[in-house]
Amino acid sequence: MTELTCTKLTLLTLTAILIQSIGLSVFVFGFFPVKSALSGASGPESFFPPGSHERPTDDLPPQQLKSLYQELSGIPPLFDRIILMVIDGLPAEFVLGKGGKPPRSDLKEAMPYLQSLLSNGLAVGYHAKAAPPTVTMPRLKAMVSGAIGGFLDVAFNFNTQALLDDNLLGQLFRIGWKMVMLGDETWLKLFPELFMRHDGVSSFFVKDTIQVDQNVSRHLKHELSMDDWNLLILHYLGVDHVGHIGGRNSVLMIPKLFEMDEVVKMIHLRTILNQVNDARKTLLVVVSDHGMTENGNHGGSSYEETDSLVLFIGLNRIIDDYASATIQSVSQVDITPTLAVLSGVPIPKNNVGFLISAPFDSFPDDKKLRALELNSWQLLRLVKAQLPDLSCRNFVHVARANGQKITGNCSGHIEEVLCCLYLNASDLYHSWLSNETFGEHVTATVAAYYEFLKTSNEWLSRRVTDKPVGVLTFGVAAMTISCLILTSLIIWMARTVYSGEKQQSSNLSNWMHGWCINEIFVLGIILIFVMSMGSSSMVEEEQYIWHFMISTSYLLLLRKVIQSLPVESAVNLLEILRGPNGVNTYKFCSIFFLLISGRILRGWHQGGVNWAHLPDISKWLEQAGSHFLRSIVLVSGIFVISLGLFALSQLKSRRKFCQVVGVFILIPGLLVLWHIIVRGSNELWLSSHGATTLLQAIFAFLGISTIGTSVGLPWLMPVSVSSCSAQQSNLSTLVSVDPEYKSCLVEFRDSLYMMGLAYILSWCLLQLLLQQPINAMPISLLLTQILSTMVYSYHSRPRHKEWVEVALLYYTGMAGHFALGNSNTLATIDVAGAFIGLSSYSSLLSGILMFLITYASPTLVLLSLVIYISLKDDSYLASPKNVEFGNLLKLMLGFPCLIPLGLNSVLLTAYTIVLLLMRNHLFIWSVFSPKYLYVCATTVCVYVGVFVVAATGMYTYAVLMFRRKVLATNRIR
Amino acid sequence: MSGTNQISFLQAFTAQLICGLGLAVAFWVARNFYSIDLISDPCPTLRLLSIVETPIVILVYSWFRLNPQECSYLKAVARSILAFPLGALLIALGAIALGAPIHIEYLSKTIFYSLLMSSFTFVPAAAVFGTSWTHWQRIFAHTKPTEAIEYMICIQAYGAVIGAWFGAWPMPLDWERPWQEWPICVSYGAIGGYLVGFVASLGFVIAGHGHHLKKE
Repeated sequence: MTELTCTKLTLLTLTAILIQSIGLSVFVFGFFPVKSALSGASGPESFFPPGSHERPTDDLPPQQLKSLYQELSGIPPLFDRIILMVIDGLPAEFVLGKGGKPPRSDLKEAMPYLQSLLSNGLAVGYHAKAAPPTVTMPRLKAMVSGAIGGFLDVAFNFNTQALLDDNLLGQLFRIGWKMVMLGDETWLKLFPELFMRHDGVSSFFVKDTIQVDQNVSRHLKHELSMDDWNLLILHYLGVDHVGHIGGRNSVLMIPKLFEMDEVVKMIHLRTILNQVNDARKTLLVVVSDHGMTENGNHGGSSYEETDSLVLFIGLNRIIDDYASATIQSVSQVDITPTLAVLSGVPIPKNNVGFLISAPFDSFPDDKKLRALELNSWQLLRLVKAQLPDLSCRNFVHVARANGQKITGNCSGHIEEVLCCLYLNASDLYHSWLSNETFGEHVTATVAAYYEFLKTSNEWLSRRVTDKPVGVLTFGVAAMTISCLILTSLIIWMARTVYSGEKQQSSNLSNWMHGWCINEIFVLGIILIFVMSMGSSSMVEEEQYIWHFMISTSYLLLLRKVIQSLPVESAVNLLEILRGPNGVNTYKFCSIFFLLISGRILRGWHQGGVNWAHLPDISKWLEQAGSHFLRSIVLVSGIFVISLGLFALSQLKSRRKFCQVVGVFILIPGLLVLWHIIVRGSNELWLSSHGATTLLQAIFAFLGISTIGTSVGLPWLMPVSVSSCSAQQSNLSTLVSVDPEYKSCLVEFRDSLYMMGLAYILSWCLLQLLLQQPINAMPISLLLTQILSTMVYSYHSRPRHKEWVEVALLYYTGMAGHFALGNSNTLATIDVAGAFIGLSSYSSLLSGILMFLITYASPTLVLLSLVIYISLKDDSYLASPKNVEFGNLLKLMLGFPCLIPLGLNSVLLTAYTIVLLLMRNHLFIWSVFSPKYLYVCATTVCVYVGVFVVAATGMYTYAVLMFRRKVLATNRIR
Repeated sequence: MSGTNQISFLQAFTAQLICGLGLAVAFWVARNFYSIDLISDPCPTLRLLSIVETPIVILVYSWFRLNPQECSYLKAVARSILAFPLGALLIALGAIALGAPIHIEYLSKTIFYSLLMSSFTFVPAAAVFGTSWTHWQRIFAHTKPTEAIEYMICIQAYGAVIGAWFGAWPMPLDWERPWQEWPICVSYGAIGGYLVGFVASLGFVIAGHGHHLKKE
């Protein structure tokens, strides 16, 4: 076996990382379709059957285009003014109830006017099913373009870009509609040039629930009295913000709903009831972009989140009973074609929705059928774009030649089904047109059209876009290769360390015989995870597996400690448990701490999907009242600081340095405590200017003290060059170097210990600021867990089993990730926290903050590896053989860096393959894809963490060696 | 073979048979006399199982105690009775550490489950080994049984624990079956593992006998 030098190891690892990241990015862009849309916009050709009249028309001036559309469509536009009122995050359940039952009485009383409209038949509402991801921008896009966006739209939600695809607003603009927008500035980003007047509100200050809506409503009276606009968009963010702060049942919710009701009332009284003449008819459409979970989050695909609202007020027809006005459900994309036909513009090209029936019920039969025909032509065009060979004409010729009447059941290949359904409908329509018979024939035609529309809608929205096989294979292959490289590096490393150790002490057991059950189990955990990833419910409930696995491994560690008890020699049970020098006491205590805090962490958030409603500590604390929670946050803050200072004081040999570092930690720590106290006493303080300044000061302090410690410490650490002098020439050739060398190691380890502590303490303090208050205690418990693991590993040997401990630490980090309330759905990402301490909107900074909050626990664990390195037993390292510069670094940093990378690469590769296998699974977009995004983000987190560990180690070592050399040369001179 | 507690295959088999029959009788009684089962009424069923099984285990395994000359049968019975609640306490702590619910409504379920588990694991070991910690360490921590009785105790106990561990797997899944509740599937797993342990330990006893004969 060739020698594995430090340079070689580093280079190979870097290569593996590079290959992995290339493979990962290639795979991500290949797998997640960046929505393939038809370019261009629908024009006059959309009033002709597909294939007959496809030439593009010249640009006509708006008024001419408008009359041309009117002439061609045969449907006079029913409304020439539309008010689109978007209530962000309002679940339809609040207005329409659920499962045929009216909403809760307090909610019903919160919106009295809207409820009276519904019960008097003046309004008709629908549950509009929103497609995941349920976040604002993709949902707005879906509502105006009728297209279901790509999955990665989520990633662009904080980086909104102009909507270039064909959409309703563009169509309306083209026929000369004037538009006004008040509210969420996402609209301005989507349509930068379209609005005549606008007042954009930033969705940035999530903690603000009042000003966002006042900024919209303050213009309302003025705008309603104006008659120069045709489309008024009002986007109210308040409900969403209330949800983010306090969940569905927040005390602020009822007043907020009442406020929305007042807005509806004002619009209805002033515009719709007050129509001057029939010429200017106004339609009020109240929609919500998505719902919210019980906790007020959104992003996922649960019923609570996708249950959004569409409400039409001002239709001609009066709906008879309350039930039929509230119970029906449609899809969110159906809003687009409905509004397009009602306002007399072509249906946007990429629309997959179909007409909502209620607005057309008052239409005469011919107009109604014509509207359906237009809709089905548009969908047929879209289908044809996806299936270029589709030609219904061949099909109809064959059928006609055989003398068949094309009716009845359609079956067979999807192309045939769609053709058959379409021809059914159009045949019925044409025969109706020629005969002008009434009654049942119309119903049958409408039904036939809807069947076609529904089928093609389903097909289009479920259609998995063609995945580039070559690209995906390349990605998977690259990831597999890097996984193999990393795994073999780990094995190589283990062999090197083992053989070195064997030379040192001959009483080591055989390499293979040394395997004990907890090591096999640690390996088995990976296998179990790889297998469990294939099941959607296991992915949803991943937190249980992590906790189960991690506590099983702790119990196995306990078993191992019991194995080493000196049962035979001891006199009584107490003495057995103490062991020599109390080592066993330390081990026992650390394992018990690990088990207990692990169990509390598991009980803190009842995460996942299926059992999220069960009671847990966080729910209990929130019920117990904010006062209680506040004191717990404070206690955990104090606990973190004192635990950190205690750990720092354990380094007895460097008292002075420890005091300096301690002060460095204590200052931001006290600031954090101050912030916690003020925040607790005044809820609104967070959005004030003073809070932002204080937060930025704390961020700066934490950054300076951490970086200052890590950069400065190796330079300030006293280097003792002992009297023996010959070491400067060539360290590796000398045998007498041993004590000298040992002192260098001690310096190295001491500085790493202090730096590592500074890292994790600053990280914990940062998290105390950023995380929701409820997570303060879990952060301190995680710190306890990490320090307990450190105590355990300090007392355990031999070194070639180091990988077990590093792997266990990594698993602890993953279990902690879920204990902080994260899950594998996008809904649990803490959006509100991403704006803490930012004085102006920056998608980069808030993205980074969001990442810091979500990956608090894995990063904490990775940072703690610096301490871990410093704690390991060095008796074997100090042998002359290892004096060589790189060799020692390799031995110290090898496992802590390689193991997280290796574990992550195995999980990443396995999950990539699982994702490929599951690409046609029903839950691919709602369960597997979000999980994949998390896996990718974990990969980034591991890269960053390992980089910090490796850089710290190398930097410290290099500086210490350099100073030693300089000192030695000086002395010789 | 006096002095040691080397037992024959027949003895081992009889002991296993009695313990197994005890479980079967408990289930039969639960079904036919009280018309309860583990799924519908976990608490009473688990209680019944331990009430029937524990005395059987205590009485059977006290025969195989270490040093029968120095330690009377009654003493063995007494120490295994003492071990019954103590073992249950340890088992309950372990189960809670692994994620068993600590909500008050689950308390009785956890207690009865732990008692049953205790009679599978700690009770026979206490009856046989008493306070001989070297034996405990060798058998449970090192998993290195040497004699027939040690094989029986070790493999059954491990079988029950491992079975319970695997039994916990379906719990988080969304199958919406009544048996996914704590501690039903875990108890099923434990009983299953215990029974597998019966067969496996008998196999080891036979193999061990062969080994001994060869040695002699």
